[in-house]
Amino acid sequence: MPSVEPDNKPSWADQVEDLDDDVDDVPTTSGSSKVDAHITLSDEELPPPEEVIDGDTKVITEYSINDEGKKVKIIRTYRVETRKASKTIARRKAWPKFGDSEYDGPGPNPSTTAICDDIFMTFVTNKEEALNDKEEDPMAKLKGTRIVQCRICKGDHWTTKCPYKDTLGPIQEELEKSDKPGEPGAAGAKGAEQAAPARAAGGKYVPPSLRGANRGPGESMAQRRDDQATIRVTNLSEDTRESDLQELFRPFGAISRIYLAKDKVTHQSKGFAFINFHRREDAARAITGVNGFGYDNLILNVEWARPSNQQ
Amino acid sequence: MKPLMLQGHTRAITQIRYNREGDLLFSCAKDTKPCVWYSINGERLGTYNGHNGAVWALDIDWQTTKVLTAAADNSARLWDCETGKQLFQWDTNNAVRTCGFSYSGDMIMFCTDRQMGYNPTLDIYDIRAGEQLANNAPLLSIPIEGPKVTSAVWGGLDEYIITGHESGEFSQFDVKSGERVRNVKIHSKQINDIQLNKDRTMFVSASKDTNAMLFDADSLDHLKTYKTERPVNSAAMSPRMDHVVLGGGQEAMQVTTTSTRIGKFDARFFHLIFEEEFGRVKGHFGPINSVAFHPDGKSYSSGGEDGYVRVHYFDPQYFEFEFEF
Repeated sequence: MPSVEPDNKPSWADQVEDLDDDVDDVPTTSGSSKVDAHITLSDEELPPPEEVIDGDTKVITEYSINDEGKKVKIIRTYRVETRKASKTIARRKAWPKFGDSEYDGPGPNPSTTAICDDIFMTFVTNKEEALNDKEEDPMAKLKGTRIVQCRICKGDHWTTKCPYKDTLGPIQEELEKSDKPGEPGAAGAKGAEQAAPARAAGGKYVPPSLRGANRGPGESMAQRRDDQATIRVTNLSEDTRESDLQELFRPFGAISRIYLAKDKVTHQSKGFAFINFHRREDAARAITGVNGFGYDNLILNVEWARPSNQQ
Repeated sequence: MKPLMLQGHTRAITQIRYNREGDLLFSCAKDTKPCVWYSINGERLGTYNGHNGAVWALDIDWQTTKVLTAAADNSARLWDCETGKQLFQWDTNNAVRTCGFSYSGDMIMFCTDRQMGYNPTLDIYDIRAGEQLANNAPLLSIPIEGPKVTSAVWGGLDEYIITGHESGEFSQFDVKSGERVRNVKIHSKQINDIQLNKDRTMFVSASKDTNAMLFDADSLDHLKTYKTERPVNSAAMSPRMDHVVLGGGQEAMQVTTTSTRIGKFDARFFHLIFEEEFGRVKGHFGPINSVAFHPDGKSYSSGGEDGYVRVHYFDPQYFEFEFEF
């Protein structure tokens, strides 16, 4: 009957024992005698392998010299199992070995067969859910943090010639917080704020100035006015920058915000922008002043910004 | 599970096969000596010495009396399974890429490469007929025009031979007439392996185009696709559960063999019907070239480019795993 796989074989490191302490003395002598000493040692002191069968456990103890010249004792534990098999299988088990295995003893030859460490099948389930979570999290993180910060007023804009970029800090924060991913246009964003309450990571306290529907009256007035003082500029050239727009529209009045629509990937201008003035009459003058103006070989189109699909 | 690692080969494994009862596991490699092992404990029974080149494929008849091997030394040889003696040698013009016993065990087929101006041919011999062997006169010799055959199996009831080509197409050749009965092209790159299921009604094909596909063996209807990101070298269907195992090819990532003693190349398990991957088993140090299920479905083996054959006996979790749908 076949002898089966060794049972619970501990790591080989536990098994290897250093038997002979005399070996340590040998290196002090000269090279040749060291070799001699090893040979004589191995001849007389290496015991023959032993095999002990205890019930259904077979323990084979072998002695040998390992690479460092130290004697090692290798203990292999096998569990002997008796299995019933069909006649043909049993007959095959009794076949004599041939070819390269002709001189192998019964049982597995350690040079050809080894038991590996335990490995487990890693089960993969519901990959889709994991993917969705991963996609959402980075976006959420990004929206919460501030990407740009002005050195002068700590607002959410580039420092370039700040004078607060004519903003009040809270207004900027509201704009960023309620700016949903992928929504173009400042006017659209502002409209969204009014409709949807601005809420930080669900459950946190939101100061009245930042709340959407329940905002304090003072802030909403500023908001609405800004909305009415928003103009849309189209037919901009691709390499127009916010600074160009700032220069272009500054003469007409104090600018609250400039939003230049850019392609998310290439960061090139999409050709249109929204300018928020503080006062409506400034915006009106800007329209009359810039509409039809030739800028960088393109005729600019300036008009009142229509609020996006919010009420 | 504690896999058995069989280290009998010095070069990459090309194919592994179980015999019909599953107690013997045969492996052939790019070194010249196919080995046979007892699958229960990994003990090597013997080797078949005689080939002079890489052995690309082997097959065993259903009675486990004869072994057929196909090698790159331009020969296909028939061996006695028990003693390892060579029974017969077919000399061909080219390296023999694939071979197989018919279901009945009476006929064999093998297919050659295209090189040195010779076209690949699919030869069928009846090994009971002494004259055929003596005169090198095959029962049927089918020349293959077009892309060469990279893998072939006998179809359901030994009526035809299904061949997979370098281009990704499948052909069915009628055994009686030698005609190409059907031709289907769904894979886009070379077919690496074709394996039938237990009742020989379907087969799964592994292709370099990173997909494995399930086909009906009679009509060559494409039934399912199993997608991965690496070329699939071999695929096999479990005779017990609705699972398919895929063994894959080149990895883009670097393998650091010093980090752990366990290799990073894995065999992937897919559900046969839902086409979704549900498990992976790591262990090989190189791409897996051949996978085979034990006929009782309780274990499987994989042979890799690293020259090792690993025999895995499944844990109870594998059988209890229920695919949620």
